Amino acid sequence: MTPPLLEVEDLSVRFDTDDGFVHAVDRLSFTLDTGEVLGIVGESGCGKSVTSMALVRLLPETAVVGGRVLFDGVDLLGLSSRRLRQVRGRQISYVFQEPMTSLNPVFTVGYQIGEVLRRHLGLSRAAARDRALELLRLVRIPAPERRLDDYPHQLSGGMRQRVMIAMALACDPKVLVADEPTTALDVTIQAGILDLMRDIRERLGTAIILITHNLGVVADVADRVLVMYAGRKAEESGVDDLFAHPQHPYTIGLLGAIPRPYEGEGARRRLQEIPGRVPSLRVLPTACAFADRCSRADELSRTQVPELREVRPRHFVACFHPGET
Amino acid sequence: MAVGGLLVVAVFVVVAIFAPWLAPYGAGATDFNSLLAHPSSKHLLGTDELGRDVLSRVFWGARASMQVGFLSTMLAMVIAVPVGMVAGYYRGWVDTVIARLTDVLLAFPFLILAVGLAAILGPSLLNATLALGVGAVPGFVRIARGEMLALREEDYVPAAIVNGANDATIIFRHILPNMTSTLLVQATVTIPGAIVGEAVLSFLGLGVQPPTPSWGVMLQDAQSYLAQAPRLAIFPGLAIVFAALAFNVLGDGLRDVLDPRTTR
Repeated sequence: MTPPLLEVEDLSVRFDTDDGFVHAVDRLSFTLDTGEVLGIVGESGCGKSVTSMALVRLLPETAVVGGRVLFDGVDLLGLSSRRLRQVRGRQISYVFQEPMTSLNPVFTVGYQIGEVLRRHLGLSRAAARDRALELLRLVRIPAPERRLDDYPHQLSGGMRQRVMIAMALACDPKVLVADEPTTALDVTIQAGILDLMRDIRERLGTAIILITHNLGVVADVADRVLVMYAGRKAEESGVDDLFAHPQHPYTIGLLGAIPRPYEGEGARRRLQEIPGRVPSLRVLPTACAFADRCSRADELSRTQVPELREVRPRHFVACFHPGET
Repeated sequence: MAVGGLLVVAVFVVVAIFAPWLAPYGAGATDFNSLLAHPSSKHLLGTDELGRDVLSRVFWGARASMQVGFLSTMLAMVIAVPVGMVAGYYRGWVDTVIARLTDVLLAFPFLILAVGLAAILGPSLLNATLALGVGAVPGFVRIARGEMLALREEDYVPAAIVNGANDATIIFRHILPNMTSTLLVQATVTIPGAIVGEAVLSFLGLGVQPPTPSWGVMLQDAQSYLAQAPRLAIFPGLAIVFAALAFNVLGDGLRDVLDPRTTR
């Protein structure tokens, strides 16, 4: 077996605030193979965005990051800022949640895509422009010749997100990290962007880390899913096995909270909410973080932290009482 | 209003550049047959005590004013904008020192600062420009730093970081163009200040040296003849007022057009 493209080992992130430490991510490990789409799912504050930002060291200086992020065998967390800049945008690209504000308002989109190309590949102005046009075509922007000289405010949100993706793909990166790429968009536009993601993986073989709170998005695009809860991994498996045989009560809760209005007879059921709230991340846990919200919780759950176990082939769960129901 | 301001500014700039062709007489040309003459068809605004044409000297004087106005403002921007931007981008103790230093300098009246500097440097047009330029630095530092504090939080900054841009690229290529409108408005406020400042320094003998014409020098010369020929002071005075007013009106207009928070 070839070594994975990206290997995250025991990644921990804590923020040093005036009120003490906040443990946003706690000893998270996962891998990403070439051309694979990994979905990271969880509710707000579970640490999924912090994880993605830690990969390319985007976190502010108040963050204390531990562990290793091995990319092609090199630890990104130990890289000099000069070497790191050569990785960012060239090997690992990033697409943000907010397409409306992530483009610089004073430059044309063609110039902004071209800038990345000129920086990393040393292309001339004219060559960069040609390649930018090609990229706009790749992300299926209509009439790309005209769009090249448009300013961001002339484009819709969906178009801008396509431009952001084009910019991220400019140097043919090996990994694309997309942090809630569709959250700020209309549902119809979302479908188009997800479609584009699938297309990119197939055509360019780019590995994608897709961060989302929407399990529907994951079901659509991902090969493998990592469910995060309170800064830790709750469950990880292939996408089909996760939806067919969810093991962690939290995952089951998330699946129950998806609206499915058109599903067979008598499908007009009430949405199931998960009771309670996400625990504070100020102290490291001494029990299962989900125990207070879980019907399966018992003495064991409240006194010990569950470790990850393989309950089905390549299906890992951090729960003392895993099972489908 | 703003268009009017722009027009008047344009007229002053054109007059300053083309003074040798527009002025009916040379800057120092004397006509001893008509000393302190009243306005006439020969001398539209009359002559001074040496028989020099007042209109011509107001035209020539515009050169010193415009030169000092633009050059000192540019000097201030070149020094202050990088300092303010770097302070605002990196924060930390460097920023604290720069910000407090700016506050201290801003507490000094602009003209007192400039007069003090000009007195140290010695009287000349170049030194007046330097003094007024340095005097305008704190204002620009504060503006550039404030803009940077706001703009560094924009989403396109992390977007540029993940695309591999280094700090210099982010500060000067990505953020600087976004604050040009604010800097432009600040410049149109600083230029009239420098024009008045040049007149003050020249009037006090710290700027342009006679016989080279400047509006301040003309006011100084007119002092002795104020009772006989008040127009010798009135015409350069009006030039100063109109030039300063035009820039200020232009600045207000630009602020309205360029600031997305006010209208649009």
